[in-house]
Amino acid sequence: MKTLQNNKKYIISLIISIAIALLIGAILMAVSGFSPIEGYGAMIDGAIGSPRLLGNTIEKSMELCLLGLATAIGAKGGLFNVGGEGQLFVGALFSTMIGLWLSDLPTFLVIIIAVIVSIVTGGIYALIPALLKTKLNVDEVITTIMLNTVAIKVCTYFVNGPWNSPLKSISQGTDYIDKSIVFSKIIQGSNLSTSFFIGTVVTVFMWFLMKKTTVGLEINVTGENKRFSFFSGLKANKLMVTSMIISGAICGLVGMMLIYGYQGHMTQSASNEYYFDGMLVAMIMNYNPIGIIIMSFFFGFMATGATMMDMQVGISVQLYDVIFSIIIFLMAAQTGIMVWLENRKTQKKAKQLAEEKAKGLVEETAGKEAE
Amino acid sequence: MENKETIIEFKNISMQFPGVLANDNVSFDIKKGEVFALVGENGAGKSTLMNILYGINTPTSGEVIIGGKKVEKYSPSEAISRGIGMVHQHFMLVPSFTVAQNICLSHEPRKSKIFYDLKGAEAATEKLVQEYGLVVDPKAKVESISVGLQQRVEILKTLYRGADVLILDEPTAVLTPQETEELFNVIRRIVKEKDMTVIIITHKLYEVMAISDRVGVMRQGKLVGVNETKDVNEKILASMMVGREVLLDEIERFGEPGETKIEVEDLVVTDNRGIIACNGINLKVREGEILGIAAIEGNGQSELLEAITGMRKPVSGTIFLNNHDTTDMDPGQIRELGLSHIPEDRMTTGVSLQSDITTNLVIGKERTPHFSKWGIALKKSTIHRYAEDLFQRFDMRGAGVDTVVGSLSGGNMQKVVVARELSFDAPILIVAQPTRGVDVGAMEFIHKCIVDKRNDGGAVLLVSADLDEVFRLSDRIITIYEGKVTGEFKAGEISKMDISYYMTGDRSNEEGGTN
Repeated sequence: MKTLQNNKKYIISLIISIAIALLIGAILMAVSGFSPIEGYGAMIDGAIGSPRLLGNTIEKSMELCLLGLATAIGAKGGLFNVGGEGQLFVGALFSTMIGLWLSDLPTFLVIIIAVIVSIVTGGIYALIPALLKTKLNVDEVITTIMLNTVAIKVCTYFVNGPWNSPLKSISQGTDYIDKSIVFSKIIQGSNLSTSFFIGTVVTVFMWFLMKKTTVGLEINVTGENKRFSFFSGLKANKLMVTSMIISGAICGLVGMMLIYGYQGHMTQSASNEYYFDGMLVAMIMNYNPIGIIIMSFFFGFMATGATMMDMQVGISVQLYDVIFSIIIFLMAAQTGIMVWLENRKTQKKAKQLAEEKAKGLVEETAGKEAE
Repeated sequence: MENKETIIEFKNISMQFPGVLANDNVSFDIKKGEVFALVGENGAGKSTLMNILYGINTPTSGEVIIGGKKVEKYSPSEAISRGIGMVHQHFMLVPSFTVAQNICLSHEPRKSKIFYDLKGAEAATEKLVQEYGLVVDPKAKVESISVGLQQRVEILKTLYRGADVLILDEPTAVLTPQETEELFNVIRRIVKEKDMTVIIITHKLYEVMAISDRVGVMRQGKLVGVNETKDVNEKILASMMVGREVLLDEIERFGEPGETKIEVEDLVVTDNRGIIACNGINLKVREGEILGIAAIEGNGQSELLEAITGMRKPVSGTIFLNNHDTTDMDPGQIRELGLSHIPEDRMTTGVSLQSDITTNLVIGKERTPHFSKWGIALKKSTIHRYAEDLFQRFDMRGAGVDTVVGSLSGGNMQKVVVARELSFDAPILIVAQPTRGVDVGAMEFIHKCIVDKRNDGGAVLLVSADLDEVFRLSDRIITIYEGKVTGEFKAGEISKMDISYYMTGDRSNEEGGTN
């Protein structure tokens, strides 16, 4: 919980960072022989130019937002979950198999079961590093990174091995889930499906949990000072594990939403490091839920736009990564730069005041000020 | 000392930190061969001023003149070369090195310019020991010697580097009365025989009276005044420091204590390294009683409190709190039985530094119906009002209840802890180092809170490294040495000087029969 003034400062420096990053992006375009105006024009066009593209942008933003919130809840509890990618894969795989195995059941029942399974499997997969951390004090950053590889490799094996589609037309991955089971599209032809409503519910729930509840407060305090949490009578370990399970559950659910939303079947490339983009959004916004929601739309916009920019103007989609990285870099340096500037300003002021005072000019007023 | 020459001169020193004017136009001088005491509340700017003299901080404006020459570049190495030596509150020694190695660190004698000359280092140390009469074994490892001796090593280190002005930052905070007396003898000797100058920063006013020639008082970054020590007394100094009259009077003793609230039997507890810290401790605290534990740091008192409060699992023995066996309970369960705890280290245990005051005040109560609906949805405005109320009542100073606790001064931070813990209204209060690093004004306030708790029928267990505090507050005192209870006394039964025999395990003058 920061004061309003700090928030304001943060937002200002964020806007400046974004502006600088876009400017550097423009310079890069110019240097490589493209017109920046044309480039950014194509990007905007590619993000919102048609209903289909707008749908894709919204879908991408929702993904980033959910994954960002997943990072945030873990981080608030003092566990930095780098393993969302793996949790996402696990959730995606098992929910896909539910759709294939239970295709005879009524549609809504299959979707509900698939949602629950993705949440449970993602949560359980996050439970492993959480327990390793709380019971054996094994660093969660290392275990989650390693568990990512495990999950992706295992999924790759299953979708291309035992659960590989027998159809010749599908070279990689499982069978497609029956069309009647997957989420219906909100905008035809786009990736945006009715899973958006689930995403909205989860987002609101996460905001409420983090900002308005006792558990959110307790998770926060535990993440900041575990010893204090334990000392205050909170179940510190339980809270940490809870925050990690919630994080993993959201990632699992996102996996399910990817498959049931637009991919249709499980492949080894169900997610292309989507979690890490969400994680960076969360880090840029200091794990603030409202900030994550807003910033997700900006990056969702950029990501979708950049793809189109690549296709239409020929500017590499990697430019998006460059801009992303510059913003992160500037935001990381932001605190230091702010402190430095502030310090210089006060030193100057104080020096002036002291010199005047030494001359005996403002003795009385200064005395009052110092009180 | 009227015609002594000036060795250090502070001229219009101001030091601005972000948000704090730590020194505000401070000017005074220090004469060669005197003991100058610098006193003031926490955050008054004493340490900052000394850090400027030692070159750690560069003043925003003003100048320091050492031996008639103005300081141009502020750095510790420059200060050392000008003969300034500083012993910090927290010692800067390498525990696994010997005394000689520590003393010669960074100025090691060498053989053929390359190899470390350990014999030479030991010889040099021995020479210093002889010269200044600061007896310590050059070959002993620092981790194996007492805090008092470690301090000597620090002093010898500055002497080895050629200091003729010695700055001691709160040197007696970690010492027993005996060790303090020895330190003072050392100071008197080096000043008298070697014509050294000593600047001593301290909280304890009787020490100022005992050791110093002159005393400077600081308040809120300003120098309130410099006096000859013989012209002032403790009361005058205290009111100069706080800016008002301070009533550090005797605390009234209270009627007969009631039933037993804390009972510890044969308690054995290990420390973080797995070494036995409490070795069979027995104690009882009753309602309406403050039991003080007098012990030198590191004799098991910290582990004892951690075991009682559930922060640490005991190896054996039993703990009864409020008539329940709490030996195997965690802090949450123990708190429910009616215990509140002001911990030894507020920074790591007592607060969440990055959370605001409100959060720190409400934590532990957030699930009660008063502060949340069904234990889930926080009632933010109720919580805010509650925090505002405590903020006022405990006289915390800061921008407001939204201030991040980490930015508060030690005294205000401790008030947050005290406010929260007392607001539980628990019958048992465990207090450790309640006023460490806290200024006189806040100390007075916190002492009053503790005594009020006792007067309301609370059972209070107090641990403090500050013997004055233990003597001032306790109705009964026990001493602990190396994890064992070595003595038990009623208030007023024993003097501070005599009790240190029990605190150091020296039982030679014991009349027999304590425990």
